[in-house]
Amino acid sequence: MAINKIFICDDDRGITEMLEMVFELADYSVVVENNSLYAYDSIKRIQPQVVLVDLWMPVVSGDLLIRKIKSDPTLENVYVACMSASRDGEQVAMDAGADIFIAKPFDLDQIMAIVGGVSA
Amino acid sequence: MTDNPLKNSAYFDDPEMTSLIYAALDASSTGIIITDNRLPDNPIIYHNKAFETITGYNTTEIIGHNCRFLQGRDRSQEAREQIRQALQDGEDIRIEIRNYTKKNDLFWNELYISPITNAKGEVTHFIGVQNNITARKKVEEQLVVEKESIERKVAERTENLRMSEEYLNSIVETIRESLVVLDPNLNVLTVNEAFLRTFKVTRSETIGLRLYDLGNRQWDIAKLKNLLEEVLPSSNPVLGFEVEHKFPHIGHKIMMLNAHRVELQGKFKDRILLAIEDVTDRRAIEKRKDDFLSIASHELKTPLTAVKGYMQLIKRFMPENNPKLTDIIEKSDNQIERLQKLIAELLDVSKIQSGKLDIHHDTFDFDKMVRDTIENIQLNSDSHKVVLRGETNAQYDGDETHISQVVGNLISNAIKYSPGKDRVEVYLSTLKNHIKFSVKDFGFGINMEDQKKVFDRFYRVDSIQKKFAGLGVGLYISEQIITQHGGTIWVDSDAGEGATFSFILPHTEK
Ligand SMILES: Cc1cc2nc3c(=O)[nH]c(=O)nc-3n(C[C@H](O)[C@H](O)[C@H](O)COP(=O)(O)O)c2cc1C
Repeated sequence: MAINKIFICDDDRGITEMLEMVFELADYSVVVENNSLYAYDSIKRIQPQVVLVDLWMPVVSGDLLIRKIKSDPTLENVYVACMSASRDGEQVAMDAGADIFIAKPFDLDQIMAIVGGVSA
Repeated sequence: MTDNPLKNSAYFDDPEMTSLIYAALDASSTGIIITDNRLPDNPIIYHNKAFETITGYNTTEIIGHNCRFLQGRDRSQEAREQIRQALQDGEDIRIEIRNYTKKNDLFWNELYISPITNAKGEVTHFIGVQNNITARKKVEEQLVVEKESIERKVAERTENLRMSEEYLNSIVETIRESLVVLDPNLNVLTVNEAFLRTFKVTRSETIGLRLYDLGNRQWDIAKLKNLLEEVLPSSNPVLGFEVEHKFPHIGHKIMMLNAHRVELQGKFKDRILLAIEDVTDRRAIEKRKDDFLSIASHELKTPLTAVKGYMQLIKRFMPENNPKLTDIIEKSDNQIERLQKLIAELLDVSKIQSGKLDIHHDTFDFDKMVRDTIENIQLNSDSHKVVLRGETNAQYDGDETHISQVVGNLISNAIKYSPGKDRVEVYLSTLKNHIKFSVKDFGFGINMEDQKKVFDRFYRVDSIQKKFAGLGVGLYISEQIITQHGGTIWVDSDAGEGATFSFILPHTEK
């Protein structure tokens, strides 16, 4: 089954707007959430195949969100990619249970390949 | 003087004996005279040859005169008074008096006068014996002069010493570091103002006490004990020993200690000098700066990520036959690439500063890594040809990304700092248990002064700084990476002759 739904959660609009445009142009259906507080509920509602989540976010941090997703059996099949510009990001992301870590600044082709490679 | 031969008239009765005695008196080098006290003014009635020699006068100028004529015009000497007194009392006298020869030359006369009494106890004659002691006197005077000059010198030295002590003292009191002097039993002998100020104590509650007992034993610090009792005795001096401690009143302090035990024999032997630098604030500032660097590079990366994404989108939607636009986009891409590298460097520095640069160990083909790195550089720079010579054939165990970063950095620098030249040379070799990488350029070279500093953080060679962009952290990062792999990195250069940067890494082929 091909992936069509991507959920992007980053408090930085510069990043979300860009990613939204990129994935929409590649014919994905994209949902963006800049406030991580509402992210978990929308994910449960939307049931995306892939979640792209930033690590450093106010209120609910990325790793907290990842833990919540990963401990929810109804979200078992969600592929979680964690992106961060932070230096200890990879460790934190992997500890939280992310499926992959993408260091910012990333290469679009790389991120497209990752998302494209996920099969539900 | 009972055995005085002159007293015994029997000698004078014998003419032969008399002439013998005269001959003997004339043979003496000591002046001898006899005066007749019964005649007015006690005139000289006899003198020997030596008296003439010493004084330069002849018989007619001597006989019948009172001997004071030898005093010339120098008549107010104390010695004259003493002689008069002695003569009057009929006593012996030995005295030194200034006399003058006929030519008016001064000579010191060591004079001995002895009275001769008759049977009735009257002093009839005096015998005078003269020795010219000018030479001896000169030596004595010389001694006095010398003694005075020595005394003067000693006084000068003392003054100098006092001044240099004062000088030293002013240095000790002026420096901002705290200084403590301990005796061999770790009792405090002195402390400077800075110590009192920093640790908020008074001299009286400090001096004479054992260091550990100061201020309710707040100096009873395990690490300090270790320094003074274990480390210092075996390795003197100890520099840059860090001690962290929470003091009751002044709070948490990070102190850098230098300790020095006096080894010179002498009264200061085994005293311990302790210099304490309070680096608490400096550390806090460093921490804040590191945090800033880390946050700044994080924040810079976010918009960069977005821009990079858009650039890739632009490329994707680019109309095909528009070479102008293609060129512009490629150039923008290069600039973004540069920005990304600068930000990465900034982050590396902050990682190194906080000790978080982690090295992943994996075995990789060293020579291939170098070839790949060169290839990558050649893609972006066609001004210089990078010539590779030699090989290591090493399957090296280390962090490939980081080592490649070093190799790339050194080669890029070599190109950057040799504008107008057309090549740089890379040499690979193996040494005993090491592999070596060198890159040689034919550019400006680096003078000795700068060679020591090029690996410092944010250091840029001054003359070069204005011409080239960059943060000046590349070499600093490179050194850190090589050091963390147990290697060393250095530069050889003669200004104007180009520079060779090299590093070696420990490696044994399995
Ligand atoms: C035997 C004799 C030898 C003397 N020899 C000397 C002499 O060599 N040089 C000298 O200055 N005075 C000499 N005097 C001391 C002087 O003659 C004289 O007594 C002295 O100056 C003190 O006396 P006034 O105060 O009368 O001069 C001698 C005296 C006597 C009795």
